[in-house]
Amino acid sequence: MTRSQQSRAYWLVPCALVGALLTTVPRLSRGADDPREWLEKMNKALATRNYDGTFFHLSGGRVETMRIVHRVRAGRVTERLQSLDGSGREFVRANGELTCYLPDQHTVLVEPRQDRGPFLGSLPQFDASVSNFYRIEALPATHILGRPARVIAVNPKDQFRFGYRLWLDEKTAMPLKTQLCDSRGQVIEQIFFARLDMPENIPDGDLAPTVRTVGMRWVRQGPSSDNASAALAAYRASQLPPGFRLTIQGAQTLGGATALASHLVYSDGVATVSVFVEEQPATAPGAAAAPDAQPEPPLQGLARVGSGYAFSTIVQGHQVTAVGEVPAQTVEFIAHSVKIYSGGELPRH
Amino acid sequence: MSEQIREQVSAFLDGELPNTETELLLKRLTRDGELRESFGRYALIGEALRGAGSQILTRGFAARVNLAIDGEPAQAPGHAHQARASRWWRPLAGVTVAAGVATVAIVALQQRAISPGLRVASAPTAQNASVPGGGGTREALSYTVPVRSADVPAARSPARLTNYVFAHSKYSLGLGQRGVLADLLIEDDEPQPAPIQGVAQPSLTPDVRVAP
Repeated sequence: MTRSQQSRAYWLVPCALVGALLTTVPRLSRGADDPREWLEKMNKALATRNYDGTFFHLSGGRVETMRIVHRVRAGRVTERLQSLDGSGREFVRANGELTCYLPDQHTVLVEPRQDRGPFLGSLPQFDASVSNFYRIEALPATHILGRPARVIAVNPKDQFRFGYRLWLDEKTAMPLKTQLCDSRGQVIEQIFFARLDMPENIPDGDLAPTVRTVGMRWVRQGPSSDNASAALAAYRASQLPPGFRLTIQGAQTLGGATALASHLVYSDGVATVSVFVEEQPATAPGAAAAPDAQPEPPLQGLARVGSGYAFSTIVQGHQVTAVGEVPAQTVEFIAHSVKIYSGGELPRH
Repeated sequence: MSEQIREQVSAFLDGELPNTETELLLKRLTRDGELRESFGRYALIGEALRGAGSQILTRGFAARVNLAIDGEPAQAPGHAHQARASRWWRPLAGVTVAAGVATVAIVALQQRAISPGLRVASAPTAQNASVPGGGGTREALSYTVPVRSADVPAARSPARLTNYVFAHSKYSLGLGQRGVLADLLIEDDEPQPAPIQGVAQPSLTPDVRVAP
């Protein structure tokens, strides 16, 4: 959860050359050592294989131990991500829903979620536009967990996005280690697998939540809608960092609220930033019926969230929050550029 | 932390820890918060020493620690055993200097986290500038993020932000989604309740096993 920086000038020329090569070399001519081929192998492994692993999650000098269980059966993905030593939090995705158990907050969040993409994630296909902003390269092979591994770097070309370094198992293409890096290559977050099994079958019991939910508050995030109110739908980012564009716009209720929030998704093809626009709530969620309920103060400023940041501000009486797995300046840039387009003229990006 | 565990942590970060010992280390880390903190510090030191990140983590992390401490040259990758044997031969000096490096690294991370006042180059921003109606007034060609007040912390997310992050994770791509979700699992910097009953521990088996 961190960071940003200036790209180095000496990167620019080689990056431009490599980027140009990547975009012009036909897919069929890629060799077995092509780093993009390995990224695609990783995508396939993460999406189609069964796996059960325990990994260390390191961020900012902090270490958490987590377990991931991923099963694909008859084309349907069931998945569980569990903190083993910290909060006791747990995510389970099954039957078209993602359920987030937060025992430390006595809360269970539930959201409709299609069975797409694994928790561990996969990288999108790298087309020409993505290559304009990231440089993909193969680093010298090494060993990890006692196994030969390919090392692939996805380097951002500017300070508006993070990059990755991936240690992929030579045999299975599973990422045994991943690092999230800023534009200078400084590591922000990393994951080491200490154990990774890829069994043919995973029993249901390994995918069942272990958190006791008695007494916990269940909050169901509303399904996404294509339409926000006219007022909310008129909000857009007026300017974006290079390469980002609007990819999804919709609306949904958040955290048990009754009113819809506008949800805009901006992406450069690898990183994504969500912008939420909503009415400033009169009272804190769940406190509406209380006679002495106090108005909830607006969110303002920067907060670290996961491997990225959120930046909140107020625009013409509405709460605007940009959140994404990007450097602080990217969410801040986008949030500050949000404005209302009252004349029906929306920006093209 | 005992010297034996220090060696295990160091060897793990070097990619040199045997699988059976990795299993033991994992068990220890799962139940020992202090050890996890130390583990995190060592990892951070390694990254700080690696600088711009053009090198691979599994190459001589501990050797670089020694190099930073007293000018001892890094061990060649083929000398892993010897490197490990002498890894913590000066534990006191190592810990002292390492802690200093960790502090610098942490401060550097925090400073990056809250560094305000970015000025964006005009040319690329202009490509994305809004052009209302196609013929309307074009947006400014440069944009400066306003400087935040000094009292705005880059803190961990308050509970209210969790809803945003949760909704955002739906559209995060690939590894970004992994990061978002994994970090949602991490406890906030607040007193934590006792471990949840019934949380199963994994069956710890070494190495990668692939179904036929």
